[in-house]
Parts: sequence; structure tokens; C-alpha cells
Amino acid sequence: MTPIIEARGLRKAYRTTCALEDVSFTIGRGRIVGLIGPNGAGKTTALKAMLGLTRFEGDLRVLGLDPRSQRDALMRDVSFIADVAVLPRWLRVGQALELVAGVHTRFNRARAMEFLHRTDISLRSRVRELSKGMVTQLHLALILAIDARLLVLDEPTLGLDLLYRRQFYDTLLNDYFDKERTIVVTTHQVEEIENLFTDVIFIKRGRLVLDSSVEGIAERYVQLTVTPENLEKARALQPFYEREVFGRIVMIFDGRTSSELASLGELRTPSIADLFVAKMESA
Amino acid sequence: MSTPTAVSPSEGTPAIGTWLLSNPHVRMFQTLVRREFWEHRSLWMTPLVVSVLLLLCALLTHGALQIDASDSAEWLDPQIKSIVFALAQWGLTVPFYLAMMLVLSFYLLDCLYGERRDRSILFWKSLPVGDGMTVAAKVFTGCVIVPFGTFAIALVTDLLFTLIWDLRAVLGRTPELVVWDTVAFIKTQALMFFGLVISILWYAPYVGCFVLASAWVRRNVLMWVTLIPLLAVIVERIAFGTYYIYNLMVYRSGGIWTSLHLEGIFLKALTGVGQAAVISIPSVYDRVHIAPAFANIDLWLGVIFAGACFFAAARIRRYRDDT
Repeated sequence: MTPIIEARGLRKAYRTTCALEDVSFTIGRGRIVGLIGPNGAGKTTALKAMLGLTRFEGDLRVLGLDPRSQRDALMRDVSFIADVAVLPRWLRVGQALELVAGVHTRFNRARAMEFLHRTDISLRSRVRELSKGMVTQLHLALILAIDARLLVLDEPTLGLDLLYRRQFYDTLLNDYFDKERTIVVTTHQVEEIENLFTDVIFIKRGRLVLDSSVEGIAERYVQLTVTPENLEKARALQPFYEREVFGRIVMIFDGRTSSELASLGELRTPSIADLFVAKMESA
Repeated sequence: MSTPTAVSPSEGTPAIGTWLLSNPHVRMFQTLVRREFWEHRSLWMTPLVVSVLLLLCALLTHGALQIDASDSAEWLDPQIKSIVFALAQWGLTVPFYLAMMLVLSFYLLDCLYGERRDRSILFWKSLPVGDGMTVAAKVFTGCVIVPFGTFAIALVTDLLFTLIWDLRAVLGRTPELVVWDTVAFIKTQALMFFGLVISILWYAPYVGCFVLASAWVRRNVLMWVTLIPLLAVIVERIAFGTYYIYNLMVYRSGGIWTSLHLEGIFLKALTGVGQAAVISIPSVYDRVHIAPAFANIDLWLGVIFAGACFFAAARIRRYRDDT
């Protein structure tokens, strides 16, 4: 099966900094991928490269197309939400529907209407009159009604309250996602949506530090809460990360089996958030 | 062999209509043009406001034209009346085109800049619309829809104004200055239509520069399009003591009209009314030669230059984002 996104040796340098350095990854169909990294790590640059919004070096195929030369064709199958603030403020809700219907052959207006009816948004309102949460609902309504193969979300719930954030992702999972579609999300709020991901890619200072499926994480990484008497034994097995929580030492190991560690303390699979912090703080 | 090889016009017309409606590119272009009018409401509101104001003037003004008794015989001469009628037709359109120039300048300067200022470019770029199509819709709006739309609104206003004025004259409330003269009306409108077409083509380089600046400049577009030419003129004067840039700009402002020798034509079209002289617009139409204007090589060079600007603007927008 051809991958949805295939990146080989992506590189992007701005005047003073290197936003992407030899980044390679593959994203398959029907995955929900979290592209996670601290501020300025290169997440948005990577997304912009996928969407043909920025120049870069290296090989990149999205849905089999080169975003640099085939952007117009690509955008028929790709939707994206940059963040909550980018719908034009003068646009009326009704005009937004008419607009997308006029330019997008795969837009299902009835579906967008159906979703909007579940909200308090009036068709006469202008975007500037809506709350931040409502603007996101509107944007989501437009996106849900487009039959795209790839959806790219760049911090889509930034600045929204918990209710809107929860509702956003619930709708995305229940009303949109299926095995034919692929979603790539960047976010800071890792804890909240880590159960959503099928895959995660960690990026740090322009470099990839992890590219794994969620099952792959469970197979490869083990988190050990060490009993004090086993501390030295555990350290001898070379954890790549160690921290103290309420007086107890928690370590994360890469490539150790449960049988090697079981006698040293309590074992579990690290959460994506814990693994992220560990990866970012180590090395 | 019963398949018809030729399509009769009656069958062809609906086919084109259906094709236009169902063709996704046509529908997209149409939507993009409508979008311009949603965003820039001044494009359609301005001519309507001018129209309403003029019609209010026609309705509410008192018979302010005081005619000297000694001249009244001449003023009431049917031929003079027809000249005054045509002149009024022409004069009524002036506010429309002045307002249009102002509104269009601001529109063109903002058309590719506004989307970056409010970051909505990321939304526009999430839609399957190419940069060429986006720029084309904006240029089409600014160079075709707005000018010809303004022409149409001005024409309707002319008719309504005349109707109101004549009705009031019949009721005896205004001087009977205006009579209906179909030939004069058609000639005046035709003259203004050709003038408009020539203006659009001749001033295309300005449109090109404005659209290019709008796509290119990071902030304060108005400052760039005013300051850069001004500085260029000053620097040229100081460095070389020449005025080429200044002369080019002056030529690009009025050159086409000079080449048509309009001043001479206007002089010849002057008709004496009492001590005053009035330009007879229909007579300008009879004397002016439209064709040589379109044979002017500078006109087409300007159009090519504008086309290059539009192309460059689309290329620049290709990698523009919210930064």
C-alpha cells in the first residue's frame, strides 16, 4: 500500500536557524499521527512543507504528489486547519458555506449544515461576532463536510476551553475519521489527546527523535518506578531518563524487556506525555 | 449516417449555458469574484451611494439655475437644449468615476495584502484554489466588473435623473432645460464607454504595480507605492539631473488622451451659447477617432507590463504565508 506521506531527508533552513534537519518519516493510510515537539522545534515548518506552503530541500510525497509542484491538485484531497484565528473575520457563516461549496467539488453542504444545526451558530453571523470556540466549530463544520483523504491540524484547539477542546476531538473521531482517512495533528496539549493517536512523531530542534506507532512504544519503552534498594541495579541497565516523583525514582528504558526489569520495581508503559518529556530532556 | 454534424444556434446556446454552470473552474471563478464583493463592500456600495445622492439632488433641488431673461431664448433653442442634455449626461458620470478610482486604488492595494494581515491566507490556501486563479479573480473584479458595473449604474442613474428632472419640468418646478435626445444620449454613452475601455487598458500598468505591491510588500503598501516612485524621481534628479521617471509617470497618466488630440477636438466641439461656450459632447463623439487609440503601441506595451505584474504577483503569493 502506498503511504499517504513519505518524507526523505527534509531540510529547511531559515536565515539564522535550521528548522528541519534530515527529517524522514512515513505515514500510512487510516492513521492519526501526533507531530509533537516544543515551540520552535519545526513542527509547523514540517506541516507547511507537506501543504506546499514553504520551500524545502529533500524528497516529499503527499498522496503521491510533490507539494512544491502539484499543490493545486494536492489540495483537492487535503484539508487543513491552521489554527482557530484564520477564518476571515468579515465572512458570514452562510457565505462560508457558499464559498467552500463553490470552490470545492467534494464539499457536502447538507453535512456542514447538519453539524452547524447542532451548534448555536447563526448563518447570518459574521466570523468576527463569534466566540473563539464557535469559530472552531464553524471551521470544523466546513472540514467535516469535505471528503478529503488527509486532514492536517496545526494546534487546532489552541486557546479554547476544555469543553470545546473535548468536543472538537470527539466530533473528529466520531463523525469524520475512518480507515480511509489520515489525520496529522500538532499540539501542545499532549496529555489530553494522547489516546487519540495511532502514531507519534517527536521532533526536537528540527530533528526527529521518535517515530513510532503507539503499539511500538509499548513494545520498546518501559517505565520503571524503582524500589530504593534496586536503584543501582536499575541504573546499571542504562535508563535514558530518570526523575524523582514524590521521593521515588522513575526511569524510562529503551529496548529492555519486562522480564529484565520486573524484579526492580513497578512496571508500566510510559504515557506519550511522559515519554515526550523524557525524550526532550534527555540528550 | 443520421448523426447531425452541425449544431443549430438554438441548440448551442443552452449547451454553453449548461457548460458554464456545470464547469467547476467557471463556478470557482464566479465564487471567487463574489467573495471579493463580500469582503470589499465599498466596491458595490460606493456607486450605489453616489447614485442615490445624485437622484436625491434631482428630487430635492429647487430650480437653482437662474436664467438671464435676455439669454433665455437661446437657452430654450432645441439644439442648445440637446447640447445641455448631453453635457448633463456626461457631467453626472464624473462623480461615479472619481469615486471608483479612489475605491479601486484602495481595493487593489489591499487585495493580496489583507489576507496576510489577518492571517486568513492560511484559510484561503487550505482550499483547492490556485494562486493564478486567485489573482485572476481579483484583477477581473478590479478591471472588468467594477468599471463596467459602475458604467451600468451611472447609465441607469443618468436615465432616472433625466426622468425625474423632466417630470419636474412638466410640473413646472424646474427650468425646462433638458429635453430627451436619443441620438445625443447614445453618442454620449458610447463616447464614455470607449473612454472607459481605453482607460482600463492605458492605466493597466498602475493596476499591475498596485497588485504586485499588494502581494509583495510586508506591511504598509500605500507607503511603498507612493514613496518609492517619489524617491526614484528625487534620486534620478539629484544623481543624473534627468526627469525620465517623472516624465514616464506623467505620460502614463495622460498620454493616451494627448495622442488622441482631445484638446483640439474639444475646442472644435465648443458651441457658443450667449457669451458662454459649451462643449457639445455628441460633436466630440463625431470628431474623435477611436481606432488609432487601440493602434497605440504604448497602450499594448502597458497591458503586457501589467500582465507580467499579475504573473509575478501570483508567483509571489505561491510561497506567501502568514509570516
